[in-house]
Amino acid sequence: MKIVLLLAILAGFGGTLAGAHFLPVTHARLPSLTSVVANGGRAEKFLIRLPADRLSVTDGQAGGIRSVGARGVMALPAQFASESLRVEHFKVRDAEGSVIGVAARHWGTTTEGLTTTWSILIPSRGALLLSAAGEARGAVDRALQSAGHRAGSEWSGELAVTLTPTDGSSRVTSGGGEFDDLAGSYTETWTLTGVIDSGELRGTIELNTVTNRL
Amino acid sequence: MRHLFVALFGLLLGAAAAGVLLYYNPVTDTSAAVPGRADRLLRYSLPDQVLEFSLGEVAELLGQSAGDDPLWEDTINRTAVLGLVLNDDVDQPAAIASRLMAASADTDLLLHGVVVSDYWLVTIPGEGSLFVRAESNVWPFLKRTLVPVWYFDRPWQGPAEYRPTVGPGPDNTARVLGLSGVFGDQDGSAVERYNVTALDPVNRSAAVVGELYLHLPGLQVAAQD
Repeated sequence: MKIVLLLAILAGFGGTLAGAHFLPVTHARLPSLTSVVANGGRAEKFLIRLPADRLSVTDGQAGGIRSVGARGVMALPAQFASESLRVEHFKVRDAEGSVIGVAARHWGTTTEGLTTTWSILIPSRGALLLSAAGEARGAVDRALQSAGHRAGSEWSGELAVTLTPTDGSSRVTSGGGEFDDLAGSYTETWTLTGVIDSGELRGTIELNTVTNRL
Repeated sequence: MRHLFVALFGLLLGAAAAGVLLYYNPVTDTSAAVPGRADRLLRYSLPDQVLEFSLGEVAELLGQSAGDDPLWEDTINRTAVLGLVLNDDVDQPAAIASRLMAASADTDLLLHGVVVSDYWLVTIPGEGSLFVRAESNVWPFLKRTLVPVWYFDRPWQGPAEYRPTVGPGPDNTARVLGLSGVFGDQDGSAVERYNVTALDPVNRSAAVVGELYLHLPGLQVAAQD
């Protein structure tokens, strides 16, 4: 009887410690939808559907139509209200439309002029960083106006606005995980299909990345 | 039958002993060293300076509501998104930070503690943006403050300081990567320190003041030039 008790204590003790050590913390993972590009490297597209994937956006003068009527408006401190500064948080999807991560987009004035930076976290894979010269203030608002949208009114159609420079100066760098040792470039295109009466945007943001191993 | 009861009792006894060992295991108490003088110090206060907090459905620790639009998808239900205003050393708003957090695969209750991958994107208007990649051990906070007070109704012992950064840089530091403006291509390190200043399980509220110590050697050189 004593032997049974001792063995059971040892098993309970060891099993619990083994569980604490070996029990994995994992995130559900979907297959990475990458493709090989003709001149080498790997291409991967990330999608953000508006308004469903928008978690939040800052207000302030730079918010423009992207913060009008949006859910989760973040109130900037008064000191930043008139700055060229906009912060947006999104869910991120793969090319097939499945949610795979979350992302933050920061746009604002720096010593280099306006810049855009993205931090994309795919929990099962790691983090990816995108940076580029920023679009002009109110770029999306002006593109919509030129497509016939009037402030306060509904609009529908199809309008593609590319927010990255065309000179290939955009950069993709690794933020950690399986993206380590990857670098490349990206394009960011907003394909807008509507503005509803509350002012909320409808459309898709496409982030097309091309990366190579360093 | 008697042997079965004895075995079951023994298993429970062994598991309980292991639980006590895990709870008091000093190996998992890892935290960053007391940070020295920073090249840049950014401060935050919770909940006052929170712009947004989205939480994965299975990432709740404090019994918070995951909100109307939680991160419910299987792929992101152990993540959190926190928008913060960061103050400078004279307590004026100086930056906006987006913290994307996820439970880390390095979590190991025997050797490392409960580790959270914490990715900061920080923008200082007029200067630039930088990225901080931190691994934070939240186990000391959980076992000393949250679990006893929040879940076991023990009296709160008062303000407590934590320095959760445990990597991925050397000496328990986070890695900093400059992305744009004055921080472009600057590498460095960072350490986070925070104080839990209030904790009220009845009202489900907590107050925290925190600091992010940024060490950017390249920035010092540029300033001297």
